[in-house]
Amino acid sequence: MTKGIDKLVQRPISRRTALIGLVGTAGALSMPWIARAQAETIRIGFPTPLTGPFAAEANDQVRSAQLAVKLANDKGGIAGRKVELLVRDDKLNAGEAATRTLELIEKDKVHAVVGALSSAVQLAVNEVTRARNMIYVSISQSDTINEIKDFSPYTFHEALNPTMTTAVVARHSFQKGSKVAYLVADYAYGHEMLTGFKRAAEVIGAETVGEILHPFGAADYSTFIPTILSLNPDILCICNFGRDQANSIKQAVDFGVKDMMKIVVPVILHNQRLAVDPEVFEGVVGGANYYWGLEETVPSAKAFNDVFRAEYKGAIPTDYGAYGYTGVASLLMAIEKAGGTEPQKVIEAMEALKYDVAKGEQFYRKCDHQSVQSVLVLESKAKSDMKSDADLFKIVANEPASESILRSCSELGFKS
Amino acid sequence: MSVVRNVELAPPSSRRGLAVLFPGANRWRVPLSVLTLCILPWVLPSQALAVNVLIYGLLAVGYNLLFGYTGLLSFGHAAFFGAGAYATGIAIGTFGVNWFVAMVVGLAVAGFLATIMGMLAIRTRGIYFSMVTLALSQLVYYTALQASSWTGGENGLRGFTVSTLSFPGFSLNFLDPLVKYYAITIVVALALWFVSRALNSPFGAVIEAIRENETRARACGYNVERTKLLSFVLSGILCGLAGTLSAMHLSIVPLDSLHYQTSGLIVMMTLLGGAGSFFGPFIGALAFLLMEDIFSLWTTNWQLIVGVIFILFVLYLPKGIWGTLISWGKGR
Repeated sequence: MTKGIDKLVQRPISRRTALIGLVGTAGALSMPWIARAQAETIRIGFPTPLTGPFAAEANDQVRSAQLAVKLANDKGGIAGRKVELLVRDDKLNAGEAATRTLELIEKDKVHAVVGALSSAVQLAVNEVTRARNMIYVSISQSDTINEIKDFSPYTFHEALNPTMTTAVVARHSFQKGSKVAYLVADYAYGHEMLTGFKRAAEVIGAETVGEILHPFGAADYSTFIPTILSLNPDILCICNFGRDQANSIKQAVDFGVKDMMKIVVPVILHNQRLAVDPEVFEGVVGGANYYWGLEETVPSAKAFNDVFRAEYKGAIPTDYGAYGYTGVASLLMAIEKAGGTEPQKVIEAMEALKYDVAKGEQFYRKCDHQSVQSVLVLESKAKSDMKSDADLFKIVANEPASESILRSCSELGFKS
Repeated sequence: MSVVRNVELAPPSSRRGLAVLFPGANRWRVPLSVLTLCILPWVLPSQALAVNVLIYGLLAVGYNLLFGYTGLLSFGHAAFFGAGAYATGIAIGTFGVNWFVAMVVGLAVAGFLATIMGMLAIRTRGIYFSMVTLALSQLVYYTALQASSWTGGENGLRGFTVSTLSFPGFSLNFLDPLVKYYAITIVVALALWFVSRALNSPFGAVIEAIRENETRARACGYNVERTKLLSFVLSGILCGLAGTLSAMHLSIVPLDSLHYQTSGLIVMMTLLGGAGSFFGPFIGALAFLLMEDIFSLWTTNWQLIVGVIFILFVLYLPKGIWGTLISWGKGR
């Protein structure tokens, strides 16, 4: 009887063992390919939401990232190797992004991943890459990715984060005693921006008079505006992204909000401003990582704009597009310095890197790998002040790169 | 219980199936299905896609039990998929339990949720049933959105990567795509075997009887409510299993997994493959994911192509891919 049971128990194990054997053999057979990897093309995975509400920004990211790769190849490659960018549509869906990233790592055998354009999506990509010791350079705003829970040595954050964006924007638009009302998109981006602004407002001494949440992707804001008017603030701070930004500002302006208060946004988007008439955005103040008008003062911006114009028939790079460029370019510089794609060496090179590719000097802070960089404050121009169709914003301030506007390493949970 | 088999209702499709194409194939439908699944990672564009086919196929199989076999159109099955995934993720991430225990927790939570939702929903019929399941699943969605300290809210659940599957005596590297695929295949094979057993049991005959003619089934003395509830719960648990596997595969649980669009996706895959057939849902999941994978590399307007194909199917091949193949075989 016991023998019979033993047999039953042993059978599945022996099958499993056979399976492991099979897989092991397959693994052993694939070893030569791994050994050969050194001389091959450097492949960079680039998941980004080509479809969905952020498609305009995503397409700009792709164009700029491709430009960075092209420039590297034109000067003979990186560490003697060609560079290839593998763009994948993550559909603005975290599950899809994780699948695509797995595919990039397992099938396409990429050496690093750059990309994503949403808080949830970049955290999903980060989760997949950090478990597989794969370098990931995120190019979308997030505060969460800096915190110790989501951090890994392989995680880099090239984009601005909500804390630094709101700190700078508030410094140039809030005053002591200002009454501020917030209209906030009800998801991670909106919440993180709101937290940042309130934190900055406390330092400045501005007062919060109301917070109104609107659903992500809302088309109709008319129900929120009477509430905002009744709060009677000096400043209306609209924390949303993509199409939501143009829609909400347009409707607020239709209600005459701008005659009674100033409109401030955390990130003023190039493409959204282009989507509506100049009168709608006139006087709206917001932050940005990049604006092409920087070329008057920053030489690297001029160089970036020039190559971009030459490559794309006179087009100019946009804010989110620039992230694609700075993200890929900084990674390639580090690979060059490290002399190859060995992750540990590339990480060391990135931590030591000082780079100025488009907007002045930047570097990755050692503890959380956040890119310390300048933050712009822009004001949308009136139609009469615009010298050309692309002359959208006035640069109110170009706050230089400084760790002082970031949360401290210990605040993020790092021991330093 | 043998009486059940003698009830003269419409011929249960579970016993039709492959048998028409290949006599005797029905007996071997589980091994044949599993064999087909074993080939997938070698023929599909990527292993991550193959794992998704497994997971969404299982999800559609679980859904098919309720929709295809019992005839109840639910629009809320994302709730069970998501609940299974979140419960597994939280069990590993927050409570640090073993992967196997976490899977059991995932199944238990999905089953519990299905019991409650089922008890509320099966009181209604037709379109009302669909609406009630949709509303209840949206409740689960918003609960997960609000309870962000547990679920990570909008950012999704993270921090529970399963890198090794430890068994007594040995362990598997779960980060290796092939090991992961075959480990998940084993679980899916067990689930398929279970579904096959359930469909061949008297219970399987009764749910099909309810689908064909509920009044008559009731008149024959079957407890229709209890059977419907049992079918709802089993279907929920199978979808929960797909959820736990998805959590372990992606090492994240996106909030979207609870969204009604996921519920819609399940219905679409089931219809595309063939509702009420054993292997149809897998074909549906395979076809949908493959189309998505290939077309989205070509064009950003891939949804247009997939949508047109889906409309063509609904208009001209309402039995779905697998269902049509079977009926062609039958016509011969």
